[in-house]
Amino acid sequence: MATQVFKIPDSFKKDAKYSFCPGCDHGVAVRLVGEVLDELGVRENTILAASIGCSVTIYDFLNIDAIEAPHGRAMAEATGVKRARPDKFVFTYQGDGDFASIGLAESLNAALRGENISAICINNTTYGMTGGQLGPTTLVGQVTTTSPTGRNVEYYGYPIKIAEHIALCDGTAFSARVSLDTVANIKKAKQAIKKAFEVQIKGLGLGFVEILSTCPTNWKMTPEQAHERVRNEMMKTFVPGIYKDVTSAV
Amino acid sequence: MEKNFIIAGFGGQGVLLAGEVLATAFMLAGKHVTWYPSYGAEMRGGTVNCEVVAGDEEVSAVNKLDTDFIVALNQASFDKFMKKIKKGGIMIANSSLVKELKTRTDMNYIFAPITKLAEELGNIKMANILALGIVAKASKMISLEHLIDALDRVLPPHRKNLLPLNIKALKIGYEYDLLPV
Amino acid sequence: MTQCMTDKKVLTKGNYAIAQAAILAGCECYFGYPITPQSEIGEYMSGKMQELNRGYVSAESELAAINMVIGACSTGAKAMTSSSSCAVSLMQEGLSYATSDQLPVVLVSVMRGGPGLGNIYPSQGDYFQSTKGGGNGDYKLIVLAPSTVQECVDLTYKAFYLAHKYRNPTVLLADGLLGQMMEPVEFKEYPYPEIDNSIWALTGAKGRDGRVIRSYAPLAEDQCVFLEKLYQKYKTIEENETEWEEIGTEDADVILVSFGSTSRNVKTAVKMCREKGIKAGLLRPITLYPFPNNRLKELAKKAKKFIVVEVNMGQMVNDVKLAVNGEVPVELIHKPVGAPPAPEEILEKIEELL
Repeated sequence: MATQVFKIPDSFKKDAKYSFCPGCDHGVAVRLVGEVLDELGVRENTILAASIGCSVTIYDFLNIDAIEAPHGRAMAEATGVKRARPDKFVFTYQGDGDFASIGLAESLNAALRGENISAICINNTTYGMTGGQLGPTTLVGQVTTTSPTGRNVEYYGYPIKIAEHIALCDGTAFSARVSLDTVANIKKAKQAIKKAFEVQIKGLGLGFVEILSTCPTNWKMTPEQAHERVRNEMMKTFVPGIYKDVTSAV
Repeated sequence: MEKNFIIAGFGGQGVLLAGEVLATAFMLAGKHVTWYPSYGAEMRGGTVNCEVVAGDEEVSAVNKLDTDFIVALNQASFDKFMKKIKKGGIMIANSSLVKELKTRTDMNYIFAPITKLAEELGNIKMANILALGIVAKASKMISLEHLIDALDRVLPPHRKNLLPLNIKALKIGYEYDLLPV
Repeated sequence: MTQCMTDKKVLTKGNYAIAQAAILAGCECYFGYPITPQSEIGEYMSGKMQELNRGYVSAESELAAINMVIGACSTGAKAMTSSSSCAVSLMQEGLSYATSDQLPVVLVSVMRGGPGLGNIYPSQGDYFQSTKGGGNGDYKLIVLAPSTVQECVDLTYKAFYLAHKYRNPTVLLADGLLGQMMEPVEFKEYPYPEIDNSIWALTGAKGRDGRVIRSYAPLAEDQCVFLEKLYQKYKTIEENETEWEEIGTEDADVILVSFGSTSRNVKTAVKMCREKGIKAGLLRPITLYPFPNNRLKELAKKAKKFIVVEVNMGQMVNDVKLAVNGEVPVELIHKPVGAPPAPEEILEKIEELL
């Protein structure tokens, strides 16, 4: 008898067409979000605050209610949704530019207030949708279209370590950084997303996951090369791990 | 007929509250009334004041060019508002803190030692309400009963214990001999 | 003489009146950041909303506040923010999005002096900001302009109603004078029907496919269709919701046009004109958008002159000129900032202009 070992998550739209670039980790991340929504059984109670950037297309895949926030304002809109409807499951899905540059005030303040929401931030060290400019997470030395000779700190300043900053906020219940470069790490990533969602359901505060991701198009790399870069370069600055977990202390 | 009042003094002399009590009394008397405070930068340093306009019809300008009645609880207010009094208007000045100087002859003055009277009553903070008693008597526009009702409404719950003293202050002001008028 | 009924009235500051009216209108969430001269609204809300177990967030910025309102409104909730002038500037992006998202955002804008930080004194310098918008794209905000503290209450009710009826951001445009002054008011019950928003609100996709509230329209033709539909809605609003007050316009040679707190003084100036034998009348727009264009056009057939009185450098005067379309001269009496010009001053200027 045939056993089904792979299926599209129930939380996905049946007619969704893959629209990310080949080798982009957004596809994997969105899929993991869908699987976790399935496993927690919250699809029919979920409201997403979507963002601006490549991450915005998440609502083309997930069959859930969503409000599309202006650039950087997803955490504020998620706050508004949750305060109006505290019984709903509310999360954001943002890129690093949206979450940690233009939206840093909203992100940190939501964490400081301990908003009972969850946030996923895709860190690919560049502004992807606009063509690969220097962003808040661009690595030191990295060449982008707006750092043509590489990011030198004297001129451009330093990249932000998002998961660590969010972990420092007293209202944060869970903060982790994960990657999608290997099957083992994808499994860990899914566990982290699940944890970040569960702390909200338990009413413990903000659940946050930073996902190290590839951007082969703007990095001008093959998918394999891109994952090697995640491992060999990104992880040196952005060390994966769980930075805060209020449930583990109990 | 629309009449307006300015109550002015130092910050802390309770001029905004006195204005609110007066405006509430007018409301209770069935008049149309507005209360408009000085706010912001004006409040730093010099004087705090508020303007109350009362009449039988909907109040138009809440902030008028000239004034029928002015209560000046300190010298700075006296100096500042002297020129705003209408011909035939009344300046009610706190002679405990204001020099009795009559620079204009086309208006009336009431100099009353408001701070001293409040001190004698046992609470210097009653000066503002005591002044309202004088306003009631001098203006003939509002009754003591309405002012007492207004006090009862305006005083916050944690200040309600001071209601009897406030009423006393009102009466002292009302009964103060207004010979100069 | 009109007797002011007292038994149900309370002497209330404009800002508190607005806040209490919002609560009585069923406002479920308030998000805001302090700025003079409207901070009392947030102060009042912070205590009351918590007491009533409704939402209140002391937002990190006006940018965040308006987006929190958008988030709350996306669920169909009644939600609002309040702010003033330079800080309302920070909300323009959100207002543009909210019109495109068709969300019932309520904004209370208590005008102060500008441009820039300006000062905290009363002003009508944000007529353009409210009626023309500082956000991008083609859109309109419904704008209601109270002239008394009682109207602050009544028009706050109306703002929630119109915002939800038309799914369009609605502004209550007051000013520092109205916000800071006290006047007796009566808080009647919220007089409007509740609007069913179940066909569009985000509720979690229970038993149905997900809904996306978005302003992104990647295809040009989609955006064309959307904007035509949006402007059909605005046409309906213009036909049904234009509101104004008129005094002595029937036989008037000169029509004064003024809104908000300034119109109180103009009313008196019109009376003074009549006493002097000048046939003056007042048209006071209560809705600044939709603007009473048609009525002004009608009046332009009979009147010899229009005079607009406003506390700014001349903003609404442009709309009056557009409405009368050259039929009669339109003059301006203005004061750049501060409490409105006194009736005597207005009268003097009217006489100069005649």
